[in-house]
Amino acid sequence: MRLGEPSKMQSSINVTPLVDVVLVLLIIFMVMAPQMRKGPDVDLPDTVKPLEQGDERAKILVTIDQAGGVWIDDQPVAPEHFRETLLAAAGDKPDKKVVIKGDAGLHFGEVRQAMRAIEMAGFRGVGLITQRAGAEKKGE
Amino acid sequence: MQLNGDTLDSSLQSEINITPLVDVVLVLLIIFMVVVPLALQGYDVEIPRTTAVAAPAQAELAQVILSIDPTACRILDKPAGEGVPADCHVTLADQEIPVADLPARVAEVLGGRAAFDRVLFLAADDRMNYEGVMRIVDLAKTGVEDLTIEFITAD
Repeated sequence: MRLGEPSKMQSSINVTPLVDVVLVLLIIFMVMAPQMRKGPDVDLPDTVKPLEQGDERAKILVTIDQAGGVWIDDQPVAPEHFRETLLAAAGDKPDKKVVIKGDAGLHFGEVRQAMRAIEMAGFRGVGLITQRAGAEKKGE
Repeated sequence: MQLNGDTLDSSLQSEINITPLVDVVLVLLIIFMVVVPLALQGYDVEIPRTTAVAAPAQAELAQVILSIDPTACRILDKPAGEGVPADCHVTLADQEIPVADLPARVAEVLGGRAAFDRVLFLAADDRMNYEGVMRIVDLAKTGVEDLTIEFITAD
């Protein structure tokens, strides 16, 4: 009995600090999550049946913003440095997949030139990123 | 001892029921996992080699070219709403067709081929809006399974 009573009192864990930590983590995550994406925000084209392209962290992300500026991952890139920056981003994995996030307001010619530059840098094929029509717009 | 028993009871009742709290936290977490996905969606496209020294031997199957021209399909600015305007015409294998017929015509032209031969070459005009082109690509993809799209990028 002497042993039983104290152990009964200690058996309930104090959850308050645990919940505090979880809530703080959640808030940190809520604040950080939108900034985890690479590159600038663009208004992606809406299409009906886009296919899954996997996680963006495993890919080289070429973003073309509304003004026609080209970004590789987080860095804006001048056209004359495009090839070497792209090859540097691939590093020792030359078969890394390149995906293009083009703004919906662009003309096809700007995307075509980016695709051509990617092909000339030696990459086979690209992924053209869209969003499912009706999906909530990011950052609005 | 009686006093001791009372304090034990009151300490048991003072605990907060954390189950609803944990429920709310988990639901918030799931909402965030859904709203902010890092996963991407889109289309895999190929780009024909322009750097190759020699062109590969001509395949026995004819190449199927889908041309999108702004005179027949006026999507020069970002299209409103969903889908492609009904008055948009595209040229598939030298025949001008309304864009609504595209899935059926792609299925007709390429459906009989083996999966690795289902290649659609796409030649879009530079002046076309990018979103419009992607919506037409989306339509063409719905026509037949395992369709490979080759974007012609040469000047």
